[in-house]
Amino acid sequence: MTMDMVIGEARERLLARAKREGLATVGYDVLESPLGPLWVAIGPKGVTTIHYGDEPSDRELRRLVRVYGPGVVPDHRRSSVLARELDQYFNGKRREFDVDVDLSGLTPFQTKVLAATAKIPFGAVSTYGAVAKRAGNAKASRAAGGALNQNPIPIVVPCHRVVGSNGSLVGYAGGLDVKRRLLAIEGADLFRPRRH
Amino acid sequence: MDTDALTFGQLLERHERELFAYALRLSGQRADAEDLYQDTFLAAFRAWPPPRQGNERAWLYKIATNRAIDRERRAKRIVANVDDLAIAAPERDDVTLADLAGAIETLPAGQRAAFVLRKVQGLPYLEIAAALDCSEEAARARVSEALKKLKAAVA
Repeated sequence: MTMDMVIGEARERLLARAKREGLATVGYDVLESPLGPLWVAIGPKGVTTIHYGDEPSDRELRRLVRVYGPGVVPDHRRSSVLARELDQYFNGKRREFDVDVDLSGLTPFQTKVLAATAKIPFGAVSTYGAVAKRAGNAKASRAAGGALNQNPIPIVVPCHRVVGSNGSLVGYAGGLDVKRRLLAIEGADLFRPRRH
Repeated sequence: MDTDALTFGQLLERHERELFAYALRLSGQRADAEDLYQDTFLAAFRAWPPPRQGNERAWLYKIATNRAIDRERRAKRIVANVDDLAIAAPERDDVTLADLAGAIETLPAGQRAAFVLRKVQGLPYLEIAAALDCSEEAARARVSEALKKLKAAVA
């Protein structure tokens, strides 16, 4: 048995004890995906974070610590349902996610923008203006873009389905190539944005 | 990173290997080392936040060392006499690691911790002093005393 295995087992037992004492509030993991590694976190109310890359951003970590305290710990078990659903999505076998999402700690406007975005169906696209309108401020399309750029749960909250009114991709926190690939998985028609 | 965004997970990822190795060297047994590792991190989680930003490693060593010493006192462990060990050891020209490990085991907990922190973990005396809650001078004295005993034990 290697040192890593010994420590791995000891860590599992430590985290189980921490969980029983209510010290471990959020579990994180790094999942492999066709888009590269995804750092994901699951809190008591559902998925809090999907981040492109194998480490979270400082901003994301601050949000988690602000909302749930420092008990953010590695936890493969907690991420297993999300991992399965993402796998199915990437393989074209899932159109909607069933996992709960947790947007705690965001501003009311960000929350409204993301809630409106969550309603855009698989394979469809909407515009920043339409999302802003649904969030209660039709003139705030630029602010809606900002809120979407800081979406803590991309893919599951499908901000990739929001494009410019002329069908241009505009921007994406994971990079435009990733946005293009996600839309291709869904077979979305960029030039026919619908009003969702 | 400041402690505002420091998480238990980061503390583990950064320091658990080193702390586990320390626990193993202090206790000499895997089961005891595992207990010490778990107790140390749980105590750190409970006592959160770390007392000084950027000094989490010394803090963890301090918790681990105190716990190891407490545990040993509670167990009222009978420490073998170094002279006995030297008498029991067969005559030889070389000293094996097992001989050394056996001799380290016989050191009193405070000296053993000081020795392992310095000679095995390679910590600077400033951090050893913080971990053992003593002055740098006292930390040096403990390491020196431990060395003297070990040399005698494996001579």
